[in-house]
Amino acid sequence: MQVIQIEDLWKKFRIPHERRTTILENIAGALQILEGKRFTYEEFWALKAINFTVDYGESIGVIGENGSGKSTLLKIIANILRPNRGRVKATGKIAPILELGVGFHPELTVKENALIYGSIMGLKNSEVKRRMNSILKFSTLERFQDAKLKNLSSGMQMRLGFSVAIETDPDIFLIDEALAVGDIEFQQKCLNEFKEFKAEKKTIILVSHALNLVKEFCEKTLFLSRGEMVSFGETETVINEYIRRVRHS
Amino acid sequence: MAELFEYAELVRNLTIKEFKLRYRNSILGFFWSLLNPLAMMIILTLVFSALLRSGIEKFPVFLLTAFLGWRFFSIGTSMSLSSIIGNYPLVTKIYFPRWLLVISSNLANLIGSSLEFAALFPLLIFLGMKITYLVVLLPVILILEFVLIIGVSLILAPLNVYYRDVNEIWGIVLQAGFFLCPIIYSINVIPERYLSAYSLNPMTRIIEAIRKILYYNTLPTIADFAITLASGLLLLLIGYLIFRKLEPRFAEEI
Repeated sequence: MQVIQIEDLWKKFRIPHERRTTILENIAGALQILEGKRFTYEEFWALKAINFTVDYGESIGVIGENGSGKSTLLKIIANILRPNRGRVKATGKIAPILELGVGFHPELTVKENALIYGSIMGLKNSEVKRRMNSILKFSTLERFQDAKLKNLSSGMQMRLGFSVAIETDPDIFLIDEALAVGDIEFQQKCLNEFKEFKAEKKTIILVSHALNLVKEFCEKTLFLSRGEMVSFGETETVINEYIRRVRHS
Repeated sequence: MAELFEYAELVRNLTIKEFKLRYRNSILGFFWSLLNPLAMMIILTLVFSALLRSGIEKFPVFLLTAFLGWRFFSIGTSMSLSSIIGNYPLVTKIYFPRWLLVISSNLANLIGSSLEFAALFPLLIFLGMKITYLVVLLPVILILEFVLIIGVSLILAPLNVYYRDVNEIWGIVLQAGFFLCPIIYSINVIPERYLSAYSLNPMTRIIEAIRKILYYNTLPTIADFAITLASGLLLLLIGYLIFRKLEPRFAEEI
């Protein structure tokens, strides 16, 4: 059964040619628009013709150099960004764990954020409250439950994000380098959790530069370079190709 | 609409969040919402009754009834103007229908304004006003105003994601609106030949209707309700179309 289908996916970003910061530059810019010249920007294709499918219970690694489109791909699967062309179909509840945090408000406390995140993921407040103890325990943030998020370290925020996300019981995890900021102890805890997800047949897409991690957990791997799909297939072969390419460049 | 039902718990949580954040880190908290109009009432009463001798009977009531109706609109629209960009940590990290942010911001404002109106009644009695059965029409006109505010918010909030100028422009529009609507003066001062154009403004209708209910103790006209409802629905439609068009690129433009 296919959980994620990606067909001929293209994503374009616009990069403005000049940032207008001063009033004078702004006036000059406004005059240009009046003259009929539009805002100039460069088009940049972050993803080009991406095609792949993910089966139920599969774990997929995504590797590639910085700026190759890995994070953009995850954001499109999570429906945060929309593609310019192509189709994405994902069945099931998706938990994106992107860079830092999963969608938290810096001015709210740990517990308030957990409630809001839970309700975005479709959980009732009573359910989140029931799971609050295990969230706080897993993230070891019991002492900070009433602290505002902005006062937590980036590692703590990530721990909270991860803990809340797993408690909402999603079908698909999209993980973007999330483990990098956690300490060794928490990384170990997460790895154990990953193993459990795999046992529970959850679908995982893992973006990482830690090739060992990808090798350990992902049956298949997607190698992106400059927005294009270089290869997609059995992890060992794809990683070898990646390493070969890096050496040759 | 089905989304609103599906995400009822989220809307509730976001509304509570908005309400809390508005008053967090302030000692008097929500009381500022009551103190602000009171201070305004005292200042303007001094200016208009003592200095300018406007000759309007019970000027504090005349002013406050209109001013609270105006505050509902001006605070509601200017708060939800930044409801998308203010929640960028959510918008850039996870998917949920973005218009719920606009709704929640406005629901928080609805609670605030309802409390302000509730606090108005003891003051009205204290100032010797008669409260009649007409008061049952007050929630009706406020709900119509709420529809209008959501319509305007659905236009402003997405535009503000793309152009931050919207925030500045709206500030000026609100300033002009304060003087364009009959808040500090009576509609009677408007010359006859401009009156029909002047009365097309839905905010004029709303303010006049509130004033009729609480100050003049007369029945608002059918036209008051009809113009408010019609412009509210029109703005809601325009807002829906603009929002739907701009929503897909929120996360990258924010």
